[in-house]
Amino acid sequence: MNAVSPLEIFRAQGVPHRRVEDWKYSDLRSVIDAETFEHPYGVVMVVKTPSAQIETVINDELPDWASSAVQSLGVGGAMDAAAKAFAPNIAAIRVPGGLQIADPLHIEFHAEGQGQIILRLETGASLTLIETHHADSEGLRNLSLSIILEDDAKLTHVRREHFSKTSVTVETMGVQVAKSAEYRAHFTSLGAKLSRTELSVLLAGEGADVDISSVSVLGDGAHSDVTTRIDHRMGHTQSTQLFKAVAGGKSRAVYQGKITVSEGADVSDSRQTAKGLLLGPRAEIDLKPELEIFADDVKCAHGAAIGDLDVESLFYLRSRGIPEPEARTLLIRGFLEEAVEGIVREDIRAETWQLVEQGLARATEPTP
Amino acid sequence: MLEIKDLHVSVGGKEILKGLNLSIGAGEVHAIMGPNGSGKSTLSYTLASRAGYEVTGGSITYKGEDLTALPTDARAAKGIFLAMQYPVEIPGVTTINFLKTALNAQRRARGESDLDAVSVLRLVRGKAATLKVPEEMLRRALNVGFSGGEKKRLEILQMALFEPSLAILDETDSGLDIDALKLVADGVNALRAPDRAMLVITHYQRLLNYIVPDRVHVLSAGRIIKDGGKELAQELEAKGYEQIIKDAA
Repeated sequence: MNAVSPLEIFRAQGVPHRRVEDWKYSDLRSVIDAETFEHPYGVVMVVKTPSAQIETVINDELPDWASSAVQSLGVGGAMDAAAKAFAPNIAAIRVPGGLQIADPLHIEFHAEGQGQIILRLETGASLTLIETHHADSEGLRNLSLSIILEDDAKLTHVRREHFSKTSVTVETMGVQVAKSAEYRAHFTSLGAKLSRTELSVLLAGEGADVDISSVSVLGDGAHSDVTTRIDHRMGHTQSTQLFKAVAGGKSRAVYQGKITVSEGADVSDSRQTAKGLLLGPRAEIDLKPELEIFADDVKCAHGAAIGDLDVESLFYLRSRGIPEPEARTLLIRGFLEEAVEGIVREDIRAETWQLVEQGLARATEPTP
Repeated sequence: MLEIKDLHVSVGGKEILKGLNLSIGAGEVHAIMGPNGSGKSTLSYTLASRAGYEVTGGSITYKGEDLTALPTDARAAKGIFLAMQYPVEIPGVTTINFLKTALNAQRRARGESDLDAVSVLRLVRGKAATLKVPEEMLRRALNVGFSGGEKKRLEILQMALFEPSLAILDETDSGLDIDALKLVADGVNALRAPDRAMLVITHYQRLLNYIVPDRVHVLSAGRIIKDGGKELAQELEAKGYEQIIKDAA
């Protein structure tokens, strides 16, 4: 039944390039070649678990419970197939039913290489996952992350990406959200030589609730592509997405957000907002919202806008004695605020602001 | 305090102020009245050095210093405050954070040390109470969702906080009902001081019943065409701009 293996999928499709519609703004083939995959090596993954009750296995093959999970999510494209085919190490993390963990589980990524992670929260479990991408990669870092949320499970997924001018970072995430389960994602990317974060979420049970906020803060030489696909497979489900990008220097921020409301998924509510702020003439932001609705009685709202800093606001702040650089920073922070303030935990929010500030320092740097 | 001589200002290549003269001494309150399009807002924006308002001739001297060379924020630090007709809404920046940032920026420019958040809040609270600015408003994003009256009260609160030497009030009465107008006027009157000058720019005489000026100037087509005491405002109200402009010609 699983006739086509990830390896076959990758071999058939090859490294994605700009003539593949989905990769139009992120030409992966221009920065890596197929030879990269000839001698696959593993990414360095450091898993810090807050509780001994969480089952964590790092191995070269999938435990039984994980392989069925991965199978039910399917393969998310050529790069996901490559990670699944080549990753020498697989981290499989299982939070048993009803277990609610207050402290976050950390996964830190170092260096280049391929990796696969499977996270399963069983019925009623809850967890905060913090994924940190360090800047010490010299080549391709390609990851596949599969998340299964069973009924009533709650996951807060924080992803932080430090800027690396040498890294090509691709991460493909598949998330399945069952009945009354909650998935909250907060992504912060400072970009890379090329960075692609691809998130596919399947709202598979009634009452599934998904909330995604994403911030890209890019300085000179940074590229960050956040591509989401939200599939309301069942009715009485809701999703909200808020994407904000600030691009300075010569940089490129991309957001492609596709929402599908499947046939019969009535009484679904889906919202998507994407906003970009350009700080210079050589920065580029591409926003591509897409809606596909096959159901009735559906609420869908989406909006996308790209602009410069508002001159009226700048004048107002400066007329109060705030020098221009400080006034600009105040406005940029204000622009990002709603996307960061949604992070419930204060310590995680503060750390996120710190990363944002690092990004802003680069994004507002004068470029030649 | 403020000396404007033969001021010419162009906006987008079009001359709006055409030889304006005005002199305001310390402790004085002057009013500039004029019909729409006479150049009232151009004058206030020029005094605050807004981009696009180009001084093509004449001079502006403030406390003996040439003002035209100074950028917007430096003027504020030197004590010039413009209460705007349309205060800007800034999402994501709380009012209290804005007040603290602005106050400390002005202090730093004058070589003074920053005030911490607690000291700023204490200072703001004291001034906010008399202007009926509730604490809850200070925690909201700057001007976002504020009513017309709330926005104008916040402008006057800033004036009370920054303690400028020269305050320019641009159409502060626009969009205010009578109660809000009285509240704002009381706030302004409380700030009258021997070392502070005020320039009240308005279309209507109404505001000047509450903020009584020492001098009134009529602005028409980019020039002051008539000066007088506070009674000139009443005369304008009775005769209308058209008649006064005709008389002055």
